[in-house]
Amino acid sequence: MLISIVGLGVVLFLVFLRMPIALAMGLVGFAGYADIRGVRASISMVGRIIIDTSQDYGLSVVPLFILMGLFVNKGGLSKELYQVSYVFLGHLRGGLAMATIVACAGFSAICGSSLATAATMSKVAMPQMRKYNYDDSLSTASIAAGGTLGILIPPSVILVIYGLLTETSIGKLFIAGIIPGLLGVVLYLVAVRYTIIRNPKAGPAGERSSLVDRLQALRGVWAVLLLFFIVIGGLYGVLNIWPLNLTFSPTEAAGMGAAGAFLIAVSRGKLNFSKTLQVLIETVQTTAALFAVLIGAWIFSNFVNMAGLPEALRFLVSSAELSPMLVMLMILVIYLVLGCVFESLSMLLLTVPIFFPLVTSLGFDPIWFGIIVVVVTEISLITPPVGLNVFVLKGVIGDVSTATIFKGVTPFWIVDIIRLALLVFIPSIILYLPNSML
Amino acid sequence: MNKLEVRKPSSEAAWDMSFRQTGFWRYIAVLPTWLAASALFILMTMTFADVILRSLFGNPIESATELTRLLIAIIVFSSLPIISWKGNNIVVDLLDPLFSRRLAIIRDIAIDMTCGVILIWPAKRVWELAERARGFGDVTEYLNLPQHYIGWFIAVFTFLTALTFLARAILLILSAVKGPV
Repeated sequence: MLISIVGLGVVLFLVFLRMPIALAMGLVGFAGYADIRGVRASISMVGRIIIDTSQDYGLSVVPLFILMGLFVNKGGLSKELYQVSYVFLGHLRGGLAMATIVACAGFSAICGSSLATAATMSKVAMPQMRKYNYDDSLSTASIAAGGTLGILIPPSVILVIYGLLTETSIGKLFIAGIIPGLLGVVLYLVAVRYTIIRNPKAGPAGERSSLVDRLQALRGVWAVLLLFFIVIGGLYGVLNIWPLNLTFSPTEAAGMGAAGAFLIAVSRGKLNFSKTLQVLIETVQTTAALFAVLIGAWIFSNFVNMAGLPEALRFLVSSAELSPMLVMLMILVIYLVLGCVFESLSMLLLTVPIFFPLVTSLGFDPIWFGIIVVVVTEISLITPPVGLNVFVLKGVIGDVSTATIFKGVTPFWIVDIIRLALLVFIPSIILYLPNSML
Repeated sequence: MNKLEVRKPSSEAAWDMSFRQTGFWRYIAVLPTWLAASALFILMTMTFADVILRSLFGNPIESATELTRLLIAIIVFSSLPIISWKGNNIVVDLLDPLFSRRLAIIRDIAIDMTCGVILIWPAKRVWELAERARGFGDVTEYLNLPQHYIGWFIAVFTFLTALTFLARAILLILSAVKGPV
């Protein structure tokens, strides 16, 4: 118990010294394991993990989904998504902010990263909202909040990693993210509405678009919507219509998504050889960085398990006679605090090996816990004073102060907490869809 | 903020590296990058073809799983030296403002040194495991590829990653000695 807490402390120390997280976790995991079982056993464990992880079939999902996101992005989707949301919502008061939320949700259906969603959408949505004299705090907040949907609405890199780490079905995790994601969209729209009611000048109405404009805008996105439907439908198993057997494993779904996105971008003339190469290079490098962290996390997790931290925690909880829900709330608070400091994925990798055994032994559903963890991570991305999404936005936009963004984000943060409470106390919101899968 | 997600979507910068390099080094860096990129493209095409062949013709590519594993290893390990060179590993830079310029350079040298040194052991160990597989004559299930090839590949690239970290540290020391960067 003590040694793993010391180990955790050392990891945090090294990570704050800017050591790559992968190596910090790997080094501490190796040293700790060596302390318990000897250096030879430890180096064997490390070698095994490196070889096995780098050839793990399940992990092939990761590069393929990243690739899909980048291809779709190159195809110019972010603009078109915003255009569609705008022609349908722009004429409402606060409509542009609402359009931003919806476009973010659409974008995150392709892209698995919150920070990337926020960074991309800010380039498209911000100029429009400036044009219509939107209050900076509302426009930036809607982008920052909308961006957080990226890691919940499938496909989500974080859910893939959670699934692999805990041996939970990735397909089910994806499907489980859909309703909470949509709930997030609805509640964010409520938050926009609330902001407008309090300050009508924050978001004046735009012009109403004609039916022709609306149909035209839809033409720009139908292919990508179809792609999303095929990928997620195949995963869920609804496309299994004779004579076609289109039920996908996560890897197959990701492969279909990437290839489909590639074909869409090529057919629109948005990809040439050098752009394709760029996308491929960016994907492999992102993938390699992710895998490095994953390998480090596995080494660290082996050490933590060997040191008996999960058992010790379980013992602590049972001897203190805490109710499971209280323990869960404590875990959520820890996530909320850590999420403000850590990049989401590293936080997940560091904490899941410790909490997951405890959580499942208390009788919580592994899929439910995965979604809850992701929702809490989303919230921490916009939590003052250190929410990462806010800083990304500040980096991309420049001339808005973080205080302004945080001010605007407050209503969004509050509805997020409401959503979290709903999900925690009514688990079937999360579990209904995955449990209805074949 | 972490480099991974924040990196701008348009990355002409994918080619650049933080230290200037001559033509020769550029080629050295480009080869594994292209290897990884091609492996990824093949992975995508193969998965797509596999699904189509299976669902339309009931005739999947039997060795697809095995090839997928192989391609993943190539994608990941051939990219590791380059992302390490570019400093694209995932880091937490929350405390950066607390370090003065001098202190930051010393910190970076120490970190790069440590990373380089500690990676040598896993590289050696993976090599030993590959040699063991060679001794047993282990081959893969469908394609009968010798198992140790991929082991060698992983070991070599882990070792190259270690060298990259050490080279970064040395370059940092040299530039610090020469005067303000």
